[in-house]
Amino acid sequence: MLLTRRNLMQTALTLGAMHAFPGLTWAQARPLVFATFTGSWEEAHRAVLVPAFRKATGNADMVLDPMLSVDQIAKVNAARSNPPIDVMLHDPGPALQAVAQDLVEPYPVEKSAYYKDLIPAAQVPMGPAPFFQVVGITYNPETVKTPPTSWADLWRPEFKGRVGITNLNSTLGTGFMVELAKMHGGSEANIDPAFKAIEALRPSLAAVAANPGQLATLFQQGQIDISPGNFNAIQILKARGVPVEFVIPKEGAIAFKTTIHIVKNSPNRELAFKLIEAALSPEVQATLMEEPYLIVPTNTKVAIKGELAKTLAKDHAEIAKKFVFQDWAKINEQRSAWIERFNREIRV
Amino acid sequence: MAATLRDVTTYDLKLAAPLAAGFVLFFVTPLAILLALSFQTDPQGGHYGLTQYVNFLGDRFSLGVLGSTLWLGVKVTALTLLLGYPVAWLHQRSPGWARGLIMLLVLLPLLTSVVVRTFAWVVILGRQGIVNATLAWLGLIDTPLKLLYTDGGVVVALAQVQMPLMVLPIVTALGRIDPNFADASSVLGAGHWRTFRKVILPLSLPGIVAGCLLTYAAAITAFITQSLIGGGQMLFMPMYIYQQASTLQNWPFAAAISIVFLVSVLVVVSIFNALGRLSRGYANA
Repeated sequence: MLLTRRNLMQTALTLGAMHAFPGLTWAQARPLVFATFTGSWEEAHRAVLVPAFRKATGNADMVLDPMLSVDQIAKVNAARSNPPIDVMLHDPGPALQAVAQDLVEPYPVEKSAYYKDLIPAAQVPMGPAPFFQVVGITYNPETVKTPPTSWADLWRPEFKGRVGITNLNSTLGTGFMVELAKMHGGSEANIDPAFKAIEALRPSLAAVAANPGQLATLFQQGQIDISPGNFNAIQILKARGVPVEFVIPKEGAIAFKTTIHIVKNSPNRELAFKLIEAALSPEVQATLMEEPYLIVPTNTKVAIKGELAKTLAKDHAEIAKKFVFQDWAKINEQRSAWIERFNREIRV
Repeated sequence: MAATLRDVTTYDLKLAAPLAAGFVLFFVTPLAILLALSFQTDPQGGHYGLTQYVNFLGDRFSLGVLGSTLWLGVKVTALTLLLGYPVAWLHQRSPGWARGLIMLLVLLPLLTSVVVRTFAWVVILGRQGIVNATLAWLGLIDTPLKLLYTDGGVVVALAQVQMPLMVLPIVTALGRIDPNFADASSVLGAGHWRTFRKVILPLSLPGIVAGCLLTYAAAITAFITQSLIGGGQMLFMPMYIYQQASTLQNWPFAAAISIVFLVSVLVVVSIFNALGRLSRGYANA
């Protein structure tokens, strides 16, 4: 073959383009892409779930592409016929949106080895829940001498100017509002009592964080002493030596199932199924339950142990009793109106 | 003879073609899509109309968010100018080694990410932060002041974060002023203050206008600093757009408020530009 200058240039350009846009070479077969959440979820999945998946598939190629639920939906929506993600992870609100927008496939339940072992709340045909997130009360044990026992304790006069909450952009913020509504005679359909309660909480508020992650910083800085908080986020803070404790209020912990879905039109359907199977398996869930991850399992074959048994619930029966699941289909109907209202009423 | 020589003062426009193509592809096209999206009447698409704009412009709350964002930019720009001009002036008047040092101090913030700088401000302004700790130690306050999540806090943090954008253009403008002008002014009997007001300040106006423009644009669009220091009780346009687009998936409304924001900023920018032209006339007069 004769190497002309033109020839050489073409080859160089092609190689350069392939280097600059690796997507070009993935057109036929790209690795499985799992959009997990950022932060500690990514760490946990990289350390435990990915190795389990590799073992189950004989070292199949996969990448983690951590991003927020809303970004996952936006990305898949932008390229429905050739989605850049194969497996999505969602909080309950976005999960229903993804299903409503026809972005996910039903989970092949009859093929699954583990689906039937999940607790009933986790058995979702459009995408099962591999774990729960739990929201309770977080407080600083150095300044709060009597541990809080109820959501109503946030309104106690000694916490004037010491309470932190988040706005409704997050699942945590919205779930907290629904819980408040329920405490004061409202429901997912009637949020009014929650807004009244927040109005009464105003003098106590030291901060309305723009996202739940910010609450962590506020505890660290001594800006707040008490707030609703995510169990897993609090464990990370605790591990870093920040004085925080987590309690489940007597009304019960607000629990969210985090569901995992196969994206519609995914070119890696089979691998996606295997990844989800790995996430549901008792081995992976048992490892993720241990320190430092402390992720709440949904597989009934996993016996609850350690810190989880101490702070949350000693078995799955107690989980069913202590965890309050909310009706996110109802919540989604009005959530945008609530966010608007929160914007207006809480603004200084 | 002259006709055969190539004109070296103008360049072939074709040289700009790659940049222009990139600009069209990655900036003009998305902007056109954004504009088209903003005319959709509902997120599902289908119908087109001015609904989103009517919703925004007919809503007191939304206009309030826009107003407070533009006003925030004015406050930050004013503070940055007030603090930045003396720094630039000092830089101009210092000996060589001090110039290097001042320039390093000015540029230092640019070397760390905005997120890090903003978190530093969270630490400074917090209840147990440097400011409150110092005031308490001096015995000036009994209970910590609320500094974080206040308007003042946002303005101060933004002013620090955007400071280089103000100082650098003014340094350049001051550097271009012939030092003989100041000498001439004082020989003719003007004092320091008068020399500054009548000679240095007008001549540095182009730098001031450029600095204000950059600072203003950066301050009103500073999503991270606004939301971390401002908190959830303050809503500015970038967060409003994010909330509509990302949390609520209401892209048409998000697109419409982005366009409204863009147009308002363009108006402010043209005011600055008009001032800039005026100042050039002033400086050359």
